[in-house]
Amino acid sequence: MLPESPRMNNDLHELGSVSAAAEHPGLAVGVKQLVKRFGERQVLHGLNLNIEAGEFIAIVGRSGCGKSTLLRLLAGLDATSGGEIQLNRQPAEAFKDDVRMMFQDSRLLPWRTVVQNVAIGLEGSAREIRARALEVLAQVGLADRADEWPNRLSGGQRQRVALARALIHRPRLLLLDEPLGALDALTRIEMQRLIEQIWRQHRFTAVLVTHDVSEAVALADRIVLVEAGRITLDEPVPLGRPREHGEAGFARLESRILKRLMTVSALDSGNQIKGRITEIVVDSVLSEVRILTPAGLLTATVLTRSLSEQPLELGADVLASFKSNEVVLATAGG
Amino acid sequence: MALSDKLARGRQTLIPWLVPIGVLLFWQLAARAGWLSSRILPEPLAVLQAGFTLAASGELFQHVKVSALRALSGFAIGGGLGLALGLLTGSFRKAELALDTTLQMIRNIPPLALIPLVILWFGIDEIAKLFLISLGVFFSVYINTFHGIRSVDPALIEMGKSYGLKGWGLYREIILPGALSSILVGVRYALGFMWVILIVAETISAQAGIGYMTMNAREFLQTDVVLLGILLYAVLGKLADAFARLLERRWLKWNTSYNAA
Repeated sequence: MLPESPRMNNDLHELGSVSAAAEHPGLAVGVKQLVKRFGERQVLHGLNLNIEAGEFIAIVGRSGCGKSTLLRLLAGLDATSGGEIQLNRQPAEAFKDDVRMMFQDSRLLPWRTVVQNVAIGLEGSAREIRARALEVLAQVGLADRADEWPNRLSGGQRQRVALARALIHRPRLLLLDEPLGALDALTRIEMQRLIEQIWRQHRFTAVLVTHDVSEAVALADRIVLVEAGRITLDEPVPLGRPREHGEAGFARLESRILKRLMTVSALDSGNQIKGRITEIVVDSVLSEVRILTPAGLLTATVLTRSLSEQPLELGADVLASFKSNEVVLATAGG
Repeated sequence: MALSDKLARGRQTLIPWLVPIGVLLFWQLAARAGWLSSRILPEPLAVLQAGFTLAASGELFQHVKVSALRALSGFAIGGGLGLALGLLTGSFRKAELALDTTLQMIRNIPPLALIPLVILWFGIDEIAKLFLISLGVFFSVYINTFHGIRSVDPALIEMGKSYGLKGWGLYREIILPGALSSILVGVRYALGFMWVILIVAETISAQAGIGYMTMNAREFLQTDVVLLGILLYAVLGKLADAFARLLERRWLKWNTSYNAA
């Protein structure tokens, strides 16, 4: 993974010579009173959202809050149940070919080589298409893997191929559905930088759906929090680029949004359960807290560090809230 | 070290052949010593000799050609129809609704149970044999094609559509390659079944072919030729299977599970 970095930087140099930016300004997105139902269940409740042309926005929220549904509606993959989506103040269908989606699982065709995967859906002479695909592969630093099968690549490399596949269509609106969710931390940061560089080069409008608040802060001009099918927070990110994860402003904003995300989910009583701590198993990094609840024994994994900052007592009453993929504990006092 | 590696590999390839060679040697000895009557089991050398004699007269190749042609034409007809209908019912819900139940009902009839009816319809001609082989081959290709198409990852189809593929392009890039491994499984089954039906059909009646040759030899108590016929069926079956494996390795080379073989 590490040896890839220098090659990637070289390719980003090359990218400077490609001046697709001026010809392809991003699309402005206007979402009005958007409603989506799956049978009985209503997922989006009259959601409104405006995105400026060329803006990078991040949508965060718990699993099942409707953020991915919103993205799929923007991509035209599902039909809306009500409301309207406009691109550049026109019905979205007019720009179907200008919208591209990057999926959480790369969705590469295993029976096509890397370069063939990038070229999917393109029409024209085979040699021309290959040349274009190689050029875009170079932008994501994978030109030398062009003729390999996708199953030989690592998760991060696959997502880079998927990014190249989206970029080759010169999208004016790029939708990213948790594309880095399955990657390890280092690869994820590398990919975030790559996506940011490419976005700055091409100036398309980007909508990133993510669980990861720090990823949202690293990339977005604006962070939107979706809860239960509505937007409950719309926060600009007033930080210069490129952003460093350790910076003070970065950390402040990240923790504020995280806190907000937690309060909102904690308020949702459907995700909570009261109980009493029966056992605490302390280990070096992660510790386990066992809680006896009316529904049975619950084991929550917490950072040992946070346990030392906010001590929990055996026998104390706690409120456990289930977030996307973790459990948050709150004591009766605090 | 390289030498010992080579020796080890040589031993690896040799060991599986020890038992068959031993059996052959014992058989040859037993026949020579007179423990086995040549009417029950002629010695292996006699089988070989019968093969040479028949090959020299050109008779052998004639029979093999007729049998192979019979099998392959039946396979082409039945397999072709199975592929076409499988693609149809797999791709279009309406076609599935209209055809699948009927086909599933027919599938439950063993083709060999139809022999009396087939003889009544077509006599004991070439057509009867082709009909039986086609029917036998049809269903394994049909079902595996249908399932292959239905089990193509919908996420990939969705990706293809959102990247501008539609109609034939979607079919060529995603649906067919996605269904291919399942279709090839159907083809391998079909090839195996093809020989079974061919043997039965040829044994009933034929004017040429391996089955005719063995039936004739039985009349004249030429056990060596009967054995030769059985051996030929085995060789042809093995060849067909090797061909199917070759196709798998060629067309599914992206799939790591086919690379190792």
